[in-house]
Amino acid sequence: MAQKKSADMSAADMTIEQQVYDDEPGLLSAFFAAFGEPVVYVTRTMKELNSLFFITLKYVIAGKRRPAEVIAQMHEIGNRSVVFIAVTLGFLGMILIYQAGFQAMKITGDLTLLGALFLQLLMREFGPTITALMIATRVGTGMAAEIGSMVVTDQVDAMKMCAAEPIEYLVVPRFIASTIMVVILTILAVLISYLVGSLTAYTAFDVNFRTYFDLSFISAFDVGIGLTKALAYGMTIPIIACHAGLNVFGGSEGVGRATTQSVVNASLAVVVIDFIISGLGYVLLALL
Amino acid sequence: MSFLEKFLKMVGTKFLDWSFEIGGMVLLAWEIFRNLLPPRMDGPETWRNFYRVGVKSFPIVVVTAMLTGAIMVIQSGMYIKQYGAYGLLGWGAGYSVLREVGPIMIGLMFSGRVGANNTAELGTMRVTDQVDALRALAIDPIRYLVMPRVLAMVVMLFLLVVIGDLTALIGGALTGEALLGVDSELFAWSIINYILLEDFTHGLIKALAFGYAIALISCHFGMRTSGGAVGVGRAVNASVVTSAIAIFVIDYFITYMAA
Repeated sequence: MAQKKSADMSAADMTIEQQVYDDEPGLLSAFFAAFGEPVVYVTRTMKELNSLFFITLKYVIAGKRRPAEVIAQMHEIGNRSVVFIAVTLGFLGMILIYQAGFQAMKITGDLTLLGALFLQLLMREFGPTITALMIATRVGTGMAAEIGSMVVTDQVDAMKMCAAEPIEYLVVPRFIASTIMVVILTILAVLISYLVGSLTAYTAFDVNFRTYFDLSFISAFDVGIGLTKALAYGMTIPIIACHAGLNVFGGSEGVGRATTQSVVNASLAVVVIDFIISGLGYVLLALL
Repeated sequence: MSFLEKFLKMVGTKFLDWSFEIGGMVLLAWEIFRNLLPPRMDGPETWRNFYRVGVKSFPIVVVTAMLTGAIMVIQSGMYIKQYGAYGLLGWGAGYSVLREVGPIMIGLMFSGRVGANNTAELGTMRVTDQVDALRALAIDPIRYLVMPRVLAMVVMLFLLVVIGDLTALIGGALTGEALLGVDSELFAWSIINYILLEDFTHGLIKALAFGYAIALISCHFGMRTSGGAVGVGRAVNASVVTSAIAIFVIDYFITYMAA
């Protein structure tokens, strides 16, 4: 019947029908769309994040200083995360000492290097990265939810009406506070993890404290790479979280979406930055 | 108020808060258990959740796992280059990824992607009275909303860790070849020779426990949301923070018991 119908149609109608048919995604175009969509999404988000980062940086250098606001954010990001960081990183220290200790017992039975190597690995990798992931979950969701709630209750628009730039008022204090506090929390996290690890090594494997607290392996390279990572994470997390918060639309559902997006993007950014800095650090170490 | 009084008050408040949340989670766990034997849940909703939780998280898990494997190879590569023991690279990266870093990183990503999403969704339903509407229609919210999500998260995190372990090892092999010049055949040989099946199953047990913990915590905080858009944000924050703590604590106890 369809064939008969199309035979009745004029040539012009045929082409229109053909065009309509072509617009429907076939299997092939759906396949390419599945690959293209994330690419488009990532490029657009990267572009927006980049511009937000540079605008923020401009205000940090040239904008008005508001120390009270920065200190309030430092309290929110730093002091209120201490217990959370202490619990998670303390458990991480115990876990890693257990795993490393049992493996070392099985293979060589020599545990004298346990503390020294643990501290080195903690400084290079686990200290900064796990701390940043924890900050990304706790502070990232907090920032996105807070700014997102402001957006859906039109407070950000009210700010714009008063000729106040939301980026300068909301993003800049969080950016400065997070950059400082993530570095400090990382140092604290490494210390806590190392100390808890020493207790675990003593109780589970009878490693003497004097043997454990061996700093001979640590070089400026280890400290440097750890602090570089912490600094990079501290700058990235607030930018991603504030970007997610500022782009909220659509009530409580939108706030929920933004917080999820903030955690996922911030955690992914931490892993990617970790990979890049570790790779560069390896190349640097090979050259030295 | 003196400093001591303030301190005691803070400790007491925190203690009561935590007791309230833990009690709520235990009650929810009991409800889930009661609905599990025999299984009473909504069929189509369960399939939808399998897709939403599992298939939609696939790309992010693959990317995370691949980078994690690469990072572990770089980190162990620094030592291996020092001693020239290139045959141990696959073992060093594989052991840490399969037992520890893989499940933790994938669990944390899963908690961020699925757990937070779940809390936000249930919280939004809660603040817009949709959960009460279900109850008014004589539909049990536990059976219709909670059970499918719990089942989907436990099953899917398990499967995602299996896939994630594989991609992490592939990422490690590629990095080893590109950066350290270690042949991927040697890498694979090292894994096959030194890694035990026990290392792999150790990670999978962790994945099951993490999946259940994330599901329970995110559903609990979602179903307890109150107070509009601000409340949803607060619930998501509490959910991901508790999930992260739960992941590390559970990981420690599983490691301790397996050793």
